[in-house]
Amino acid sequence: MAGCTLFPAQTGVKLTLQRGAAMIAAMRSRVARAAPVAAALAGFLAMAACNEGLQPTAAPTSCPRGFVGICGTATFRGALPDSTQGVFIVAYATFPESLRALLTFRPLPPPAAPQPPPGDSTVFYTVPLPNGRYEWVLAVWQKQGTLKPDFSNADSLFREAGFYKDAGDTTSHGSGIVVVNGTGTDSIDLVIDFGNMHRICSYFPPCP
Amino acid sequence: MPVKRLLILACLASAPLADLRAQGSAVLYGSVHDTLGQPLRAYVRLLEGGRAALADGRGRYRLAVPAGTVVVRIALIGFEAVTDTLTLAPGDSLQRDYRLHPAVLQLPPTIVTAAKRSQFLDQAVTSVAIVSDTDVARHAVTTIDEAVNKAPGVQFLNGQVNIRGSSGYVQGLGSRVLLLVDGVPANQGDRGGINWDVIPLEQVERAEVVKGAGSALYGSAALGGVVNVITRDIQPGFHARVRALGGAYANPPAEIWSFRDYTGAQEGLDVTGSYGTDRARGTFTGGGWHSDGYREQDRRNHWQTAGKAQWLATPDTRVTASGSWVSDQYETPLVWCTRGTCDDRGQAFQPFMIDASGRGSLTRSDKGYVAGTVEHHASEGLGWHARASWGRTHFTDFQPGRDDWGVANRFGAELRGELHPTGNRVATVGTEASFSDVRTNIFTGDTNLTSNAIGTHDQREFAAYAEGEQRLGRARLTAGVRTDLIVVDGGGLSTVVSPRIGAVLTTARTGVWRASVGRGFRAPSLAERFVSTTVQAFRVVPNPDLHSETAWSVELGNATTISPAVRSDAALFWTEAYDLIEPTVDTSGARIQFRNVARARLAGLDLALTTMPFTRGLTATLSYTLLYARELAHDGIPERPLAFRPRHLVTLGADYQRGAVSVGGDFRYTSRFERVELYETDPRVAEKVLNLRASAAWGPWTLRAQVANALNYIYNLVPRTLEPVRTGSLVLTWTY
Repeated sequence: MAGCTLFPAQTGVKLTLQRGAAMIAAMRSRVARAAPVAAALAGFLAMAACNEGLQPTAAPTSCPRGFVGICGTATFRGALPDSTQGVFIVAYATFPESLRALLTFRPLPPPAAPQPPPGDSTVFYTVPLPNGRYEWVLAVWQKQGTLKPDFSNADSLFREAGFYKDAGDTTSHGSGIVVVNGTGTDSIDLVIDFGNMHRICSYFPPCP
Repeated sequence: MPVKRLLILACLASAPLADLRAQGSAVLYGSVHDTLGQPLRAYVRLLEGGRAALADGRGRYRLAVPAGTVVVRIALIGFEAVTDTLTLAPGDSLQRDYRLHPAVLQLPPTIVTAAKRSQFLDQAVTSVAIVSDTDVARHAVTTIDEAVNKAPGVQFLNGQVNIRGSSGYVQGLGSRVLLLVDGVPANQGDRGGINWDVIPLEQVERAEVVKGAGSALYGSAALGGVVNVITRDIQPGFHARVRALGGAYANPPAEIWSFRDYTGAQEGLDVTGSYGTDRARGTFTGGGWHSDGYREQDRRNHWQTAGKAQWLATPDTRVTASGSWVSDQYETPLVWCTRGTCDDRGQAFQPFMIDASGRGSLTRSDKGYVAGTVEHHASEGLGWHARASWGRTHFTDFQPGRDDWGVANRFGAELRGELHPTGNRVATVGTEASFSDVRTNIFTGDTNLTSNAIGTHDQREFAAYAEGEQRLGRARLTAGVRTDLIVVDGGGLSTVVSPRIGAVLTTARTGVWRASVGRGFRAPSLAERFVSTTVQAFRVVPNPDLHSETAWSVELGNATTISPAVRSDAALFWTEAYDLIEPTVDTSGARIQFRNVARARLAGLDLALTTMPFTRGLTATLSYTLLYARELAHDGIPERPLAFRPRHLVTLGADYQRGAVSVGGDFRYTSRFERVELYETDPRVAEKVLNLRASAAWGPWTLRAQVANALNYIYNLVPRTLEPVRTGSLVLTWTY
């Protein structure tokens, strides 16, 4: 096929364009150059269109979907002591039989429990836990200070401030057994009473 | 007399023109700049006759040409050459200013890090990414890490650099990447981490990111790679630059997250001056910036001075002295507020507010370095390089309950020789020594809980290394080994041997192939060995018996030109890591301790595409890293994803330049971490950050604008630590 004239030869220069194979080759080259950019642009647009960053999330009042662990309400009573370092909710697979076994709790490190508002109040809490059976779920109050490696000052640093128990249970440390099985186990409700906390030595007597 | 003097001067001034006229020649003069207005030291050459001139540091040139019609070619590596046809009468003096466009198809850049000597990029046996000064300028950054973060396969987690997922996140302790400033190791002497802000941004020419184990040449910390920040050469004559920065942070996108009643701002100013002759040159930078931060308790002040001096003693000998000193005072946001730990307004978490238990935390950090180097080319076949350096850090963490502080020094020295026994063979041999010490109340090694001890520790490292390259046809074969001896507190000698072999094959049809196998290691930092503090109720106890973590890295890569406008670089990599040092909670002793516990495997694909599609002036880049990072089963823990590593890391970029104006942007996607440590059940999302930028240059002025995180995407990478929100910034630069 003959070439076509793009511009009239007014200045003695005639520009012609070859059709056929050369045209296809040019198109291939252009497509090859454009393809990565088009793909990148499409990818960018797809990802930019899905702006799903963190969003405001109301504090849960029941176990969130996809959550694995325990949830419930913590009812606070009494005044939070000035010397408070923190309050934690932890769980033991079996009731600790010795002072050293106190550190077999989950989760590790323990997340801080909700900070109690002034006065008696009830707040919802969640504690992530691996699947399993837990014999003792309790709230631990921690005084400011550092635990010695030999635990000799554990009694002065920690207090049991409340634990989960079955209704009507009157045992010293409760018999509320909690099972976590791939979801959130709800209604593990605790009463955390800062006016009625118990020393560790009351579980491992004698008390000094 | 003044009139007579003027006449004499006029006669003298006109004499060259008269000579030119008599000789039938003329003068071509002017300047050469890039499209951003930066001066270029380009070659201006006559196509016939071979006369040439080299533009100076301000891009100015002057070339005598024969009268008549001449063709000149203006060229510089990395830019599209320009050919210009001119007609000049005898005695004419013609000004022509040229502007060169960046070229995709260019001669490979010269790098100095991959083999500890100068070589072309496509001769390196491992993958190397280059962050140029243009990249730094485009991103309108305040510290160099913000620009390095855009390099293919690189990701920063709260200031901690990851190359192909090397480091993860360990609270800034023990970087698995080695930072060099002009080849001088700059990791902290005590914590082993990196102070990116110690590098004077104004003096950065480029950063070379070497991926994979680099211990065969660099020793400890080069387990996952090396970042070498190269500062600019000092140009002859007097030059000055003033850079002013202003910006603002977006407020939280949701009213319920608001935490202040004003818009946070950042502002800064730095001034650089340099003067050089043919023999001696010097430059000095001073400045500072302030930031209100984008979240609660996030204000920061930064002051910096830096200098560099060069003495060109002989044409073959260069002596360089450089240094930098930085002072930072910054509030420490620690972790964000979760339910009940602040005025949470009924929210599960408040990402812009902090946990009230960390209120009042702030840090003062002073650090700096001085370094001296001597380079001498004794002959065509022998050159040597000697350096000495001193780095110092001094930090104090003011926090509720207890303040932590440490003063650390790191002295280093190296002697290196480069031999070219034949044209096909190169050998690099060297020896290196370093001494680190720390005086501190936190890395004391003290196990007595009740004492408030201040401790001093030191670490000495001695090393010898050699690497040779043999050229065989189109292949280059490389083999090398380094031996490191590490002595802690005068005892506990340990030895680590790090070999590496590699090959590069240049083919006509499939580009350049590279392959390498190397061993990397990282000696535990003094902080990891001797840390003694408390975290919540737990005592963090020292572990003087820690030993080095090691890794074997394998890589197969290819760099090729797919079409005249598309260039690709791809690499498959595989790393097996042993004895990784991690904090371990010991439930039997109420303590946390760093131990050599983890075994890990990191494998994947690294891909970088550069293309100039559609139209002149448009450059697009795509980089993608696919990472398979697993923590292998150990100590009763089953195999699981390695924490803080994304499966997919994508960066798309595009820039368009027309004359002195450019616009562009980049988009970073990081897939959601499969696993994090601490707060594993916290919500976490993928990273999707869009940055937009524009710049304009006129005369000595350049204005650059950037909107970082333009979508104001709210996300975190490190647990309970908000990443930067939308930040608009303007940088105005005046260059003389």
